Amino acid sequence: MKARRYGTLMGLVLLCAILWILTPHFLTVSNLLNVAQQTSINAIVAVGMTFVIISGGIDLSVGSIVALSGVALGAMLQGGQPTLVAIAGSLVAGILCGLTNGLLISIGRLPPFIATLGMMSVARGAALLFTEGRPVSGFDEGFRWIATGSIGFIPAPVIVMIAIYLVAHLVLTRTTFGRYVYAIGGNEEATRLSGVSIAFHKTAIYCVAGLMSAAAAIVLTARLNSAQPIAGMMYELDAIAATVIGGTSLMGGEGSLGGTLVGALIMGVLRNGLNLLGVSSFLQQIVIGGVIVGAVLVDTILKRHRT
Amino acid sequence: MRKAIAILLCFVALVSCNRETPAANDKKTVALVLKTLNHPFFVDMRRGAQEAADRLGVTLQVQAAEREIDVDKQMQIVENMLQTGIDVLAITPSGSREIVTALVKASSANVPIIIVDTRLDAKAAADAGVKARTFIGSDNYAGGRLAGEYVVSLTGGKAKVGVLEGIPGHETGDSRLRGFRDAVAKAPGITIVASQPANWERDQGFNVFQNMLQAHPEIDTVFAASDLMALGAIEAIAAARKTGTIRVVGFDALDDAKKAIAAGTMAASVAQFPYEMGKAAVESAVKLLAGETLPADIMVKLEMVTKDTGVK
Repeated sequence: MKARRYGTLMGLVLLCAILWILTPHFLTVSNLLNVAQQTSINAIVAVGMTFVIISGGIDLSVGSIVALSGVALGAMLQGGQPTLVAIAGSLVAGILCGLTNGLLISIGRLPPFIATLGMMSVARGAALLFTEGRPVSGFDEGFRWIATGSIGFIPAPVIVMIAIYLVAHLVLTRTTFGRYVYAIGGNEEATRLSGVSIAFHKTAIYCVAGLMSAAAAIVLTARLNSAQPIAGMMYELDAIAATVIGGTSLMGGEGSLGGTLVGALIMGVLRNGLNLLGVSSFLQQIVIGGVIVGAVLVDTILKRHRT
Repeated sequence: MRKAIAILLCFVALVSCNRETPAANDKKTVALVLKTLNHPFFVDMRRGAQEAADRLGVTLQVQAAEREIDVDKQMQIVENMLQTGIDVLAITPSGSREIVTALVKASSANVPIIIVDTRLDAKAAADAGVKARTFIGSDNYAGGRLAGEYVVSLTGGKAKVGVLEGIPGHETGDSRLRGFRDAVAKAPGITIVASQPANWERDQGFNVFQNMLQAHPEIDTVFAASDLMALGAIEAIAAARKTGTIRVVGFDALDDAKKAIAAGTMAASVAQFPYEMGKAAVESAVKLLAGETLPADIMVKLEMVTKDTGVK
């Protein structure tokens, strides 16, 4: 498992090395901070996705939850709520969406694909309905600090991302909840027979995904200075891509947040590098698709060789 | 493993030969950031820009998001291009307010900004202290009026109109609709019976108009804020076997729309000239680099294309 994680990390280093050779603009402090900042939103969504995928599930609704919790946040801020209250409200909105997903999956016994596919449409529709399709924009500087501020030279979104990864990593590796996430993904039946409440833990896992989507929504809303009901489209696919590039198995039971972070960075670095090189935007999509498939292919081959 | 490393080294050696040396190339670089490149409007704009860049001897870098509505991606592109030391930034904002955050970075890097096609939100820009050197585009409100007046004269002042809107909250679409509504409001016999967004897309134009027609079979005229949506509506009209009974007026005068006008399935379209916009963007950039100041607005002409005006 360790070797696999380093495999992805080596891929990232290699990619950086190639870009360093190709363009003098890549390896500069300002550009690297730029990449980290651009990666932060996908990376935060991917934390929730990693929990879900390790448990053997999938969550297609994260992008729509980003939109819904974002517009909830925007409306509360515009309605004059204090920043912290609005942020808390947005997180609650995200958790509620996740809770609905979780209950449909655990109590309603729906396949995660179906339950979250439904939520994807419901949350998007709710965000559009709530705002009548129009973005909610214009927030005060205090709130916008989340995207525009920095501590020392590190931009605030990067600090938020690192903090979330540290906490989530501890939860996943050092708590019983974290162990059950792996156990449910590895063998749900055995986990159930050993007396673990599957329903409770599964529901909690989707709540984590909802919470992370809301956290990403806060950063995104601050960044755009606007909460858009059409924000976050296709974020689910970016988050799934970051997670699987990071070595998390879609079959469940294995994976790590360190890997996911590296996966998200690979995607961010790639997009940044292709922009710096002035590669045509059509070709960019081909390259990104190729890298996603290539990374997982290499990973699968290495794994086969080791076992 | 060793083989893989060898191949890799060869690759690295190869690409390093290719490495650009910025010192050897003192041509100025103009960045043109478009909303997307999967729309003929922006493809034309790019062509016009490229023509001007070749003629005036500047390097043109064109980038666009995959999807027109992806403001965050467009911001990332701006941030990334600023890293490469561009000299002028010309941009068609995907979001009139949202993009301002990225433009602040351009301002602080002393890269002059030219706005093309979609205006910045005046308040958001002023709050952030972003000042564009010029705006190049067509007056969308005037274009909407032109379409509205055409509908009034075409229908003799009596029509039931269905409207296909662009993405809500977009300055471009909102202005076109305002112009259209103001023009038809003068004819009491014209009512807008339904108005729904189809988000600038052809397939959504099809679906939304099909549904609209279900709810309002009395619709005899369609105004779409863009031709792609109009073309979608024409397909929906054909599917409902109503071709010829519903007049369709679009916006942009795309090649496909001109063909439809020639074939009689579409009544008219407001022509914008994206090629001219792209050309003007690069020409203005070159003027800026030469130290000239630009007028606040550079207006590109509008024209109503109908079967009578001749389809070029």
